[in-house]
Amino acid sequence: MNEVIGIIIAAILCWLNFVIVDTYFGLPEQPGVRGASIIGKDIEKRGGDIAGGFFQGNVLCSPDASAGTLLASIGYLLLGIPGGIIAAFLVFIGNRLCADPGYAGTVGSLTATIIIFLTSFIGLTPEMFIVGMVIAILTIMGIDQTRASIVLGKVAKKFNRHARE
Amino acid sequence: MFDLMYDTIFFASKVNFFGLSNITIGAFDIALAYIVAILCSIVVALVLKIPLLPSKPYRYSFDVSAIYPTPIIAVGILSIFLVLNYTFMYNGLVLAVIIGVLSALFVKYLFDFVFPKPLDENAGEDIDE
Repeated sequence: MNEVIGIIIAAILCWLNFVIVDTYFGLPEQPGVRGASIIGKDIEKRGGDIAGGFFQGNVLCSPDASAGTLLASIGYLLLGIPGGIIAAFLVFIGNRLCADPGYAGTVGSLTATIIIFLTSFIGLTPEMFIVGMVIAILTIMGIDQTRASIVLGKVAKKFNRHARE
Repeated sequence: MFDLMYDTIFFASKVNFFGLSNITIGAFDIALAYIVAILCSIVVALVLKIPLLPSKPYRYSFDVSAIYPTPIIAVGILSIFLVLNYTFMYNGLVLAVIIGVLSALFVKYLFDFVFPKPLDENAGEDIDE
């Protein structure tokens, strides 16, 4: 498959994977660690959404499904399917060391491994998923935090996981 | 010139055509070993009286259960053995059973000692600005 098209498809798949897993396991609902709460309140002060702020803070402060997706694609590149599972195990240990209560990281890396394995039949390679995941994180953390937090707040409302409900 | 990054990645993923690295046992045996490890760890965890499901709002994963940390630890350790190409007897089945039993014992007796719970249960919420 053409590399550019593959990277675009992989970025969309990664974005959907980590946003859905993170939202389902309640990242926008409450800050899991101390820094996430500070970031969420700061983003709300700048005109963003508090649930999206908590989401971004949790993504930044402790390993969750976004870190899980990235590490799973790196592990898959190096060691194949067992590499993705080792990545899930290491993300689990990282969660414990960060005192982060949550299931999102481990579940996210396992689902990412499954997605990479299934899409390898249509020609997507793990390298495309690494680049795609970096682009996906850039869209929610790097370009415009307040607007991204509003979008994430809408997703959280759809899943019934908003902080203010 | 030396393209170090490309050479390293190419060397590491050279034999990785089928997504299974350089493991010498077949794909069916690997899948069977994973299933045996998962089932064995869950069954032994239930025998040791660890609850099957975690406590209800699925947000606080420090409470161990038979579904959440036990099979993850089992398949993680089994994967490390597989990619190191150490598969003991009967195409890895014996290894899978041993790792399943040991991970259930670890979760029951050593988990709270190795990964202690944070002292403040709702850390991150009591912040005064």
